Amino acid sequence: MKYTFEIICMLLIVGLFVLTQVIGNQFYFFIGFVILQYMVMATAWNILGGYGGYVNFGSAGFLATGAYTAVALINFLDVGLVEQMVAGGVIAGLLGLATGYLTLRLRGVYFAIATLALAIILETIVAHWDYVGGAAGTSILPKRKPELFGELIVDRKAGIFENYKEYLFFLMGTVAIISVWVARYIENSKLGRGLNAIKDSEEAAECMGVPTLRLKLIATTISGAMMGVAGAPLASYLTFIDPLSAFNLEYAINAIAMPMIGGTISWAGPVIGALLLGTAQQVSSLWIQSELNLLIVGVVLVVFVIIAPEGIIGWFRKSRQGSGR
Amino acid sequence: MTRNVTNRVRVWLLAGLFVASVVLSGSFATTAQAQTKDPIKVGFSMALSGALAGGGQQSLVAIQLWAEDVNKKGGLLGRQVELVFYDDQTNPKNVPGIYSKLLDVDKVDLIVSGYGTNLIAPAMPIAINREMVFMGLFGMNANAKWEYENYFSILPAGPDPAVGFSEVWFKAVQEKFKPKTIAFIAADAEFAQNLKEGAVRNAKAMGMEIVYEQNYNPKTADFTPILRAANAKKPDAIYIASYPNGSAGLVRALAEVGTDAKAVGGGMVGLQFAGLMAGLGPMLNGIANYDFFVPEPTMNLYPGASDLIARYQAKVKAENLKVDELGYYLVPWAYANVDILGQAVQAVGSLDQEAIGKYIRDTEFTSVVGKIKFGKNGEWASPRTLVVQYQGITNNDLDQFAKAGTRKILLPADISTGDLQPFNALRK
Repeated sequence: MKYTFEIICMLLIVGLFVLTQVIGNQFYFFIGFVILQYMVMATAWNILGGYGGYVNFGSAGFLATGAYTAVALINFLDVGLVEQMVAGGVIAGLLGLATGYLTLRLRGVYFAIATLALAIILETIVAHWDYVGGAAGTSILPKRKPELFGELIVDRKAGIFENYKEYLFFLMGTVAIISVWVARYIENSKLGRGLNAIKDSEEAAECMGVPTLRLKLIATTISGAMMGVAGAPLASYLTFIDPLSAFNLEYAINAIAMPMIGGTISWAGPVIGALLLGTAQQVSSLWIQSELNLLIVGVVLVVFVIIAPEGIIGWFRKSRQGSGR
Repeated sequence: MTRNVTNRVRVWLLAGLFVASVVLSGSFATTAQAQTKDPIKVGFSMALSGALAGGGQQSLVAIQLWAEDVNKKGGLLGRQVELVFYDDQTNPKNVPGIYSKLLDVDKVDLIVSGYGTNLIAPAMPIAINREMVFMGLFGMNANAKWEYENYFSILPAGPDPAVGFSEVWFKAVQEKFKPKTIAFIAADAEFAQNLKEGAVRNAKAMGMEIVYEQNYNPKTADFTPILRAANAKKPDAIYIASYPNGSAGLVRALAEVGTDAKAVGGGMVGLQFAGLMAGLGPMLNGIANYDFFVPEPTMNLYPGASDLIARYQAKVKAENLKVDELGYYLVPWAYANVDILGQAVQAVGSLDQEAIGKYIRDTEFTSVVGKIKFGKNGEWASPRTLVVQYQGITNNDLDQFAKAGTRKILLPADISTGDLQPFNALRK
């Protein structure tokens, strides 16, 4: 069937909604939000890093751009969460486009360093922008009874969701599913094939007529926008945001580690990586000694680089090919 | 054939890795100890690793001492107290999940905060949503936006903490030197910026001219350029709002570059920690800084604090804990944070959060840090910050900081043990 994947996506979104209605324990929504946010980040990173071979170390910068766009909009217009996410995506997408213009002539380690520098520059700007709290950070008070198109979204008695965390979980889940759909679409499109060609040899791709600069700019814009959308609800989730937490290096590390572990060659890789590593991290944070949290990321990453350099997806493909002979 | 075998080995290795992760989660399972007879569970997150671990670790030991004390006396409401806590890694992102787990999975009966404003703030909406009484440890204006009536802050900085925190420092400096000009150096981070904002208001209220104002990145290692730039403006006083790493760096820069300012210090977090005091030693001489509890004879107004600290130090030594060896900075306050909650539960005779909150709002408590009455937004009704000056430090021996004389109390006047000396008069 032609639209099987799209139907599955729709069913998953419905499933997420049902979960918010039947699960009473809020803890799962907190944990779920974090894992789904990482899923979006990993998927977004993979569009540029996995398909195009351009390693972005500045993921936290794009995420924070979305978060601080939301903070500015809350302070200025007191807009709702959906509007914050749309605006966060647009601004981070434009930032991605600008970054692409400025840095895509760089390659390999030079591009990676440039993206890392971008995150540091953005952090410095935010730390001196008092309107969004500056270095001291700011508390965000989510709307008590948010509405969307006239519908009461969150209210203990009359709202679609009983509390704000269910709403955040549902929105982030929906964004994660849409992100995966976009990544899959790109993978199977001319854009994805072009990016793969760039990854293998940019000169050869250029000679074959692949519009390398245009494709790279599209990839940086889409990747940046997705990270911005993922970052926009961060302020509402934490209810307090400061540059140290928004630009935390952990986001950048996870955005890279998750696709590497899951596999960068397919849209499913970041999803698997985010589910496995995100769950392991949450489990380790709350049930294991917390010091093991980052150790798990490091050890798992090193082991995968050695045993399965193409991630779980790559390893399964090889395994299938091997057993087919 | 060989390839298939290799692939199988890889499958098992990968599967084993993730299974190990899950198994580890069981073997390192949380700190909570199962108790018989339905204990009262007190839940909290704490910075046991990361930037604020120095304070978080000593706070945890203090809370454990409180639980031991309460349980020895028969517990709360006749039930033993059980602590359930998780390391927030000084990362605000971890806090909402931790408090949700505490309330939804661990089913704790009472909650208190972790250490520091940016780790209190993310837990506020959960406490409000569940209508729980929430005690905050060293949060600066954490409830200003929320105005939640059942939040209570353990920070002796008064109803306007940003101003109250530095008020006494400015008072001491103004009385002694009447400075006309002042320089500000502050870390680009939450607590330091709030502190500086209050300090600037105090300086302006006293008619001082701000001749230099510089924020620095918390990752800064070399502070000599900043200090030289401040010295170029010839300020009469230098107010510093810094975190532990910056405080140590600035003290070293002061030792290297020097200054003609008569008063230096103010809001330097970390100089109260045993490790930093011993490490910096004589370089601390002359610095006038805020503090909350020092081993001076006049600190007897805090009943039980000296005894508590002695017990803390003995526990640290006996159990070879890798935490602050002296514990002056946070131990009495972290203890008071849970002690007040415990007193309220006992007085109310139930775990009814609304009744506990009302009792705390209406009552003046006596704990190890003296009398406490809460005012607007749960802040202290009146400030009780100390200003101390490091004097007569001759070496790097830690023991000297456990005795009277190295941190003289300048203000409040009723517990004063020394006079403010010009910065350079105490430097060799």
